[in-house]
Amino acid sequence: MASLADVFRVLVQLREEGIVTDYAIGGATAVLFYAEPTRTYDVDVFARLPSVDQSGLASLAPLYRWAESHGFTVDAEHVVVHGVPVQILPAYNALVVDAIHTARVHEYQGVSVRVVDPEHLIALALQAGGARRRERAWLLLQAGVADRLHLRALLDTHGIDAEIPDET
Amino acid sequence: MRPDASLPVDIPLLLARLREWHRRQAKEPLQEKVRILLELQRQELPLLARQRPLHSWERPWDVTP
Repeated sequence: MASLADVFRVLVQLREEGIVTDYAIGGATAVLFYAEPTRTYDVDVFARLPSVDQSGLASLAPLYRWAESHGFTVDAEHVVVHGVPVQILPAYNALVVDAIHTARVHEYQGVSVRVVDPEHLIALALQAGGARRRERAWLLLQAGVADRLHLRALLDTHGIDAEIPDET
Repeated sequence: MRPDASLPVDIPLLLARLREWHRRQAKEPLQEKVRILLELQRQELPLLARQRPLHSWERPWDVTP
């Protein structure tokens, strides 16, 4: 049976082969690196893509072709890598681009994997909204892993209206 | 016995303990947190299925931590 490290290894391969220009794991899977586990059934990966289609939008077609040529199936918007649904999300705004650019490199079972930092994870969760994402932001704050000054500056820069309490 | 006799009286203490529990969970080794996530997926999927139709990709990951 494959391990989660094998899934992360495929992300590294995507970057090495130029299918994505750069990437960073986000969402609940990224939260694992900094805080307690929360339920998720997919791995969200923010990515900058080298290819654009005729309308100028980032195209996922080369990624899907690459996935299928490597024996991975595509299910809805997910590439199923060793049984784990991975959703590649093309960078859709300045905050996401910044989150990819400033991602931290973590070691997982010998694989160096890029993960969105805690401050950007909170900002992205608050920007996207929704109960589960707010809960995720709260978990990261509670874990004491976020630099609150940096976070407040980030929220301000990207026009995200949210109150960040002082650490208790 | 009054209904409220068993209610906790020191809410701030309980909240502090809860915060401490979250911090301890956050400091578990990463591989252990992945193991917990895989377990959560198995436990919560039937509950989720009762609340709404599942997406085709919503299933426990078939990987080791």
